[in-house]
Amino acid sequence: MHRRRWTFGWLVTLVLFATLLAACGGGGGTGGGTGGGGTTTEPIRVGAIFDLTGATADVGTPYARGQIAFIDWKNEQGGINGRRLQLFSEDYAYQVPRAEELYTKFVTQDKVLVFSGWGTGDTEALRPKITEDKIPFISASYSAALANPAETPYNFLVAPTYSDQLIIAMKWAIEDWKAKGNSGLPKFGYLINDSPFGRSPLADGTAFATSQGIETPLEVPSPRGATDLTPQLTQLRDYGANYIFLQNVSSPAALAIKNAKSLGYNVQFVCLNWCANEILIKLAGTDAEGVVGAVPFNHESEGGKIALEFAKAKNIDYGGADSTFVQGWTAMSILIAGIEKTLADGKELTGENIKNTLETMGAIDTKGVTLPVQFSSTDHAGAKSLKMFRVENGKWVPITDFISAR
Amino acid sequence: MQSGTFHTTYASDVRLRPYWPQRIRIVIVLALALIFPWFADRYWLNLANTIAIAAIGAIGLNILVGYTGQISIGHGGFLAVGAYTAGLMAVNLGTPMWITIPVASFFTAVVGAFFGLPSLRLKGLYLAIATLASQEIIIWVLTHGKLLGIGESLSLPRASNNLFGLPMEWLGNNDFAFYWICLVALILTVIFVSNLFRTRTGRAFVAIRDQDIAAQVIGVDLFRYKLLAFATSSFFAGLAGALTAHYRGVISWERFTIDTSILYLAMIIIGGMGSVSGSIYGAAFMTLLPALLSNLARALSDVVPNINSYLPYMQQGAFGLAIILFLIFEPEGIVKMWRNVKDYFRLWPFSY
Repeated sequence: MHRRRWTFGWLVTLVLFATLLAACGGGGGTGGGTGGGGTTTEPIRVGAIFDLTGATADVGTPYARGQIAFIDWKNEQGGINGRRLQLFSEDYAYQVPRAEELYTKFVTQDKVLVFSGWGTGDTEALRPKITEDKIPFISASYSAALANPAETPYNFLVAPTYSDQLIIAMKWAIEDWKAKGNSGLPKFGYLINDSPFGRSPLADGTAFATSQGIETPLEVPSPRGATDLTPQLTQLRDYGANYIFLQNVSSPAALAIKNAKSLGYNVQFVCLNWCANEILIKLAGTDAEGVVGAVPFNHESEGGKIALEFAKAKNIDYGGADSTFVQGWTAMSILIAGIEKTLADGKELTGENIKNTLETMGAIDTKGVTLPVQFSSTDHAGAKSLKMFRVENGKWVPITDFISAR
Repeated sequence: MQSGTFHTTYASDVRLRPYWPQRIRIVIVLALALIFPWFADRYWLNLANTIAIAAIGAIGLNILVGYTGQISIGHGGFLAVGAYTAGLMAVNLGTPMWITIPVASFFTAVVGAFFGLPSLRLKGLYLAIATLASQEIIIWVLTHGKLLGIGESLSLPRASNNLFGLPMEWLGNNDFAFYWICLVALILTVIFVSNLFRTRTGRAFVAIRDQDIAAQVIGVDLFRYKLLAFATSSFFAGLAGALTAHYRGVISWERFTIDTSILYLAMIIIGGMGSVSGSIYGAAFMTLLPALLSNLARALSDVVPNINSYLPYMQQGAFGLAIILFLIFEPEGIVKMWRNVKDYFRLWPFSY
């Protein structure tokens, strides 16, 4: 027994020692400068955190693949002025403390210039640091709280805010209600992820609904990791909701759609960004037919084709989630466009200069994936409008033109 | 030749640090702690602060689980109480942190004592479920915060980070300044808790752990001391939570879920149940494990291509593997491994 304990002790010591050595080695090699004008060939350092194993990994993975693919594609095109893009990225499992640790590592040790984040909770938690470090930051969270440069000067939103998405979806729902020949006004319900992400758009959405004379929508959170949402749906049915807005990721949304079918509850589901994708169709099967989604990134466009063809050529496995893959790709492309323009203007690459360039460079063309994205010094919500899509024969098909919330 | 140490007086037996190497070690550790921040960059400072805060929380949990034998999986909830109390005071009243942190700690102690009430009647698994309920209740209150006028996430004003009117910026950047705050808080916690178990109260806790009926028979007031254990434990949870709130600047309940409670339990199991230094080792191990793994993967990425795509799964696996290996080979944790090393030298050459 004693001997075995010693062996284990030595094993642990050795492993710790090896990792410490590795840590030191990793730290020592990255002390190089970050600035530089036009002639340097120093790579441009980009940081990113992804959710590959956490609560939102179903959509986090294709998004991550899209971002990595864009960097690879850009490097194959020759990089920016002959400088390569170097991506520092890691999985953070949707855990705020892990996000903080990785962010600090990439910013202070790897000296990344710009950063691409993921969730609402961690993006909000990183807010003070982002401002302090002057790191232009995009994230996959479109919480309206991040769009005001007076409070978060370095956060940029590349899609309509969740609030805008919900209002656009509600606008569509009111039109749809009338178009179907119903009288009066529909009743709305929310079935949301039980997190800051889920609740982010509700206050603005409810304000819009009540301004249209609609009764205050019923808010039902779906518990994390739930395997049956029948109780939640029963609650919405008893309330009499005609439209249920899903602010959740694909797997729980698909579960809700299937549960509603087996409950015999005939209701129109409307997905916001993070469940309006191919994973939902894959999981819900034929039950997904007729589900409507607010899709901010149109993958059936010229820009989308470039991304998807690159994925095909490189054999990138993103689980068939075309729209989410294109979303990750496009989000990264907007951030990189800011860097490219800063260099083209002959300015030094600093967080502050990239931020100013993004604010003043005018509309960024995404080749039809979104309407051109434009930031200003007073508004960091770059996109204002999107198309509503519907699932028809197992595919997301656009059913409206671009609608804007205001 | 003397192998081993023998106490000849009662006074030497109850001394906290009876051996001279231990006293030298304290001096060395303190010296290293004082030198470290001047050489470390912000990444390592950030890790050090995370470890210090986690260690305070783990010591708190160890008082309850390791010393008093009352299982708790509601520790994350108590951290949240501390964090939100400090946060709400700073946001709504503009209170500086040298007031909010003690107030939050005491308030959490009261909340902890309240949720400790079932411990009088419940034991073992039943108590675990009762504390799980307290975790869920606290998180429910926070997620439905608008009922109580609490926002879902709180952003603390920078101005509240001051010590007796001196702004923290005066000390340096946020990570550097908080290093000192966390270090002082950790040292005070260690001194308090190490001495707690040399007192009447501490011995009562240990008596309850070893055999509660026997403890009652010899005159330990179970109700009082169990509640006291819950309160003391929650006090340090509150301290850790309040430090987190002020250090991070933004808090949301997502940081304090059941996962956090489990993580803290894992810390004290790996570090060593019923040991103050074990709690610190456990906190350090659990914080450094993912960080070191990712550094290792990066160092190996030239040798082993694609290692980065397996890293997330390796990290998840490593977490479970660490716990299993410890349970198999050293159930008493890192602190026991360290003790074995010390004993080897102390008892040499006659170790049996």
